[in-house]
Amino acid sequence: MSEPKGKMERREFLLAGGLVGAGTAVAGVVIVKDRMPSAPQDPTGEKTVRNLNVLKNLKPQEHEDEHVRMQRELVKAMAKPVEKRHWAMVIDTRKCVGCHACTIGCVAENKLPPGVVYRPVVITETGDYPNVQMRFLPRPCMQCDNPSCVPVCPVKATWKRPDGVVAIDYDKCIGCRYCLNACPYGARTSDFGRHYTGEAAGAPSGKDRPMEGIAAAQWEHEPSNEYGKSWSRKDHSSPVGNARKCHFCLHRLEVGQLPMCVTTCIGRATYFGDSNDADSLVSSLIVKNNSQTLLAHLGNKPQCYYLV
Amino acid sequence: MAKTTLSTRDSGYGASASPWKAVLWVIWLILMVGGTIGVFQRFSSGHLAAGYGSYVPWGLWIGLYFLGVGISGGSFIIGAVGYIFGIPGFSRPSELRTAIVLSLAALIPAFIGVALDLGHMERLIKVLTSPVFTSMMAFNAWMYNIFIVVAAVSWLLTFKDNSTWLKPLLVFGAFLSILFPSQSGVFFEAVRTNEFWHSPLLSVLFLASAIALGAAGLLFVRILLGESGNREGYSNAIRWLRTIAVAAIIVYLAFEFAEFSIVLWNPGQHSPSIDFLLFGGYWQVFWILHLLLGALIPLALFASNHKGLWAIAALLTGLGFAAARMCILVPGQIAGHIPGLQQAFQDVRLTYSYHPTSMEYLVGFFMLAVGMAIFYVGIRLGKTFASSPEHGYGSSIEQDGGLQSGTAA
Repeated sequence: MSEPKGKMERREFLLAGGLVGAGTAVAGVVIVKDRMPSAPQDPTGEKTVRNLNVLKNLKPQEHEDEHVRMQRELVKAMAKPVEKRHWAMVIDTRKCVGCHACTIGCVAENKLPPGVVYRPVVITETGDYPNVQMRFLPRPCMQCDNPSCVPVCPVKATWKRPDGVVAIDYDKCIGCRYCLNACPYGARTSDFGRHYTGEAAGAPSGKDRPMEGIAAAQWEHEPSNEYGKSWSRKDHSSPVGNARKCHFCLHRLEVGQLPMCVTTCIGRATYFGDSNDADSLVSSLIVKNNSQTLLAHLGNKPQCYYLV
Repeated sequence: MAKTTLSTRDSGYGASASPWKAVLWVIWLILMVGGTIGVFQRFSSGHLAAGYGSYVPWGLWIGLYFLGVGISGGSFIIGAVGYIFGIPGFSRPSELRTAIVLSLAALIPAFIGVALDLGHMERLIKVLTSPVFTSMMAFNAWMYNIFIVVAAVSWLLTFKDNSTWLKPLLVFGAFLSILFPSQSGVFFEAVRTNEFWHSPLLSVLFLASAIALGAAGLLFVRILLGESGNREGYSNAIRWLRTIAVAAIIVYLAFEFAEFSIVLWNPGQHSPSIDFLLFGGYWQVFWILHLLLGALIPLALFASNHKGLWAIAALLTGLGFAAARMCILVPGQIAGHIPGLQQAFQDVRLTYSYHPTSMEYLVGFFMLAVGMAIFYVGIRLGKTFASSPEHGYGSSIEQDGGLQSGTAA
C-alpha cells in the first residue's frame, strides 16, 4: 500500500462537511428544544385542588394569631389549582433569636441524616464591645424563580413546580452534585449515606453520648415523607446518594399544615403563604421597604424574603 | 547516539531483557493492585471514605476526568490533522492508530472516575436515555459517546485500503475533539453563580491544555513505541509534537495570566478563590505542581535536544495539567457566598475545604492503570489486525520499535 494521499478529495470533503454540518444542526436543535418552555411535569388543574377541613370550625377573627391566619391562607391557597399558587417565605431577622428550633424541627420532620441540613441558621457577630450585635439568618432553600440549580441537572431530576417550589425526584437523581455547585446559597446538601448510630461507635460518653440501641437505629430507618412519598434509606435506597434540600414541606402543605420550620419558630419570625394571594400575610410583608432577598445581584429571584 | 531499543518481537513493549518493559509492568501492577483496593473501598464504604462533601462536592476524580478528556481530545485532533494533511510522521495508518488508541485510553478511564463519583452509579445511563441539553453534563456525555463511536470506527477504517469514509470521519472526530475539551470549560463557565468559574477564558484554557496534553501524550507514547521503521517520519513527528506542546503550554500560561491579573488588579467577588489558589492553602499545587513542575521545567526540558528529556517533559506536562485542573476545580468551590454558613451547622461534610483521601488517590491509580491497559491492548490489537507494514507497525516495529532515548540530531 502506498503512502496515503496528503489531501482530501472532493467526495471526502463533502462527506466531512455533511457530517460536521449534520452534527451541528442536530446539536443546535436539541439544545434549542430543551431551552424552550415545556409542559409542566407535575399534575395541574382541578385534580390538584385540595378542599381541606382544617380550621373549618374556627371562624376568622380580627387580629387573630398569625399562625392561625397563615394556616387559613394555606387552606385557601390549596383550594386553588397548583398553578395558581405561588409559595413564598418571609423571615423577620429582627425576631429571630437564633434558637435553631427550625433547624432541628426540619431535621426531625424530614429524618435528615448527618451532614444533610435544609435550614441552618447562620450566626454573625458584628462590632466590638460594648457595641456588639448578634445577627441570625435562617437559610432555607430560596425556591428561586430563576433557579441556577435546575438547568444544570443532566436528567431533569430537579425542576420548578407550578407552585414555585423547586423539587427533586429522588428516583431520578443520579447524584452528580452539579446542582450543589450551582446553588449560590449552599442550600443543597448531598446524602452520603451516613447514619447517626453507625458513626456513634467510639464517640465520647457523657452529654455527648450518642443515641444507642434498637430504638435509635429504628428512628434512623423511619421513612421520611418528602414529596408525599415514603422514603426509606435502607440498603442505599434514595434519598441516599441524592441531592437534598428544603421543599417548603410540600407533604405537610398537602394536608393543610404549615412547614415545620414555621410552626417550630418560637420567635414567630418565619412567615409562609401564597404570594399570588394579594390578601395574604406574606404578600403584605414582601412589599415592605425593609424586605430584602439574599444575593439578589445574582439574578436568581429568590422567593424567600428577609425583613431587616 | 545513545540509544536504548526495545524490541517488540514478543507480546510486550520490548524484549524481556529490556529494563523498561519490566519497569512498565511493575508500575502497572502497583497501580492496578492499589487501584483495585481503592475501588473495593469505594464499593464497600460508598462515599464515606472520600474527602469531598456538600460544600466542596467535586474532588480528585472530577479533576482526573477533565484531564483524561483533555488528553483524549488533544491526541485525536493532532493525529487526525496530521493524517489528513499527510504530515510525515503522522500520515501512516499505524501512526494514526496510535493517536486514536491514546485518545480512547484516556477517555474511557475518565468515565470510570465520573461513574464512581456519582451517588447513584446505576443511573448513569439516564444521562443518555433521558438527557436534558440545558445541562452541559448531558451535552458532554452525548458528545463523548458519539466521539467514542467515531474514534472506534476510524480505527477500524485504518485497516481498510483507500477508505472514502476515513478522512471525513476524522474531520468529524476532530470537530468533536475541539468541541468537547472546550465545552469542558463551559461545564464550569455555565455555573453563572460562581464568579471564579463564570469566565469565558476557561474554554480557551481547556482547549489549550487539551492540545498540550494531546501533544505531550503522543510525544511520550511515540518515544515509547519507537521509530516504527520510519525514522525520518518519527523524528519529524516528535519535533512537531514538541513544538505543539510548547506552544500550547505557553498559550495556556498567557491566558491564565490574563485571567488572574485582572482579578489581582481589580479584586472582585472571586478574589477569595484567587487568594486561596495563589497565596492560601493551594499555593503548592499552583506554584510548584502546576507552574514549576508542570510548565516551566517541561518548557526547559523541551528546549533541549535530548529525546529522553522530552519524554520526561511530556510526563511532567501531564502532571502539571492534572494540577491545573485541580487549580480550577477546588478554588472554585472553597469560597461560599454566605459567610458563616460553614459554622451554622457543623459537620465534616459541610466545610469549605478539600483534601483527597487515600481511597481517592487509589481510585486515581486505577483509572491510570486501566488507561495503560487499554493503550497496550489497543496497540497490540492494531499490530495483530494489520496485514502489512503500512497497516500496522508490521515487521518494522518488530525490529526497531521500542523506547528510545538519545539525541534528536
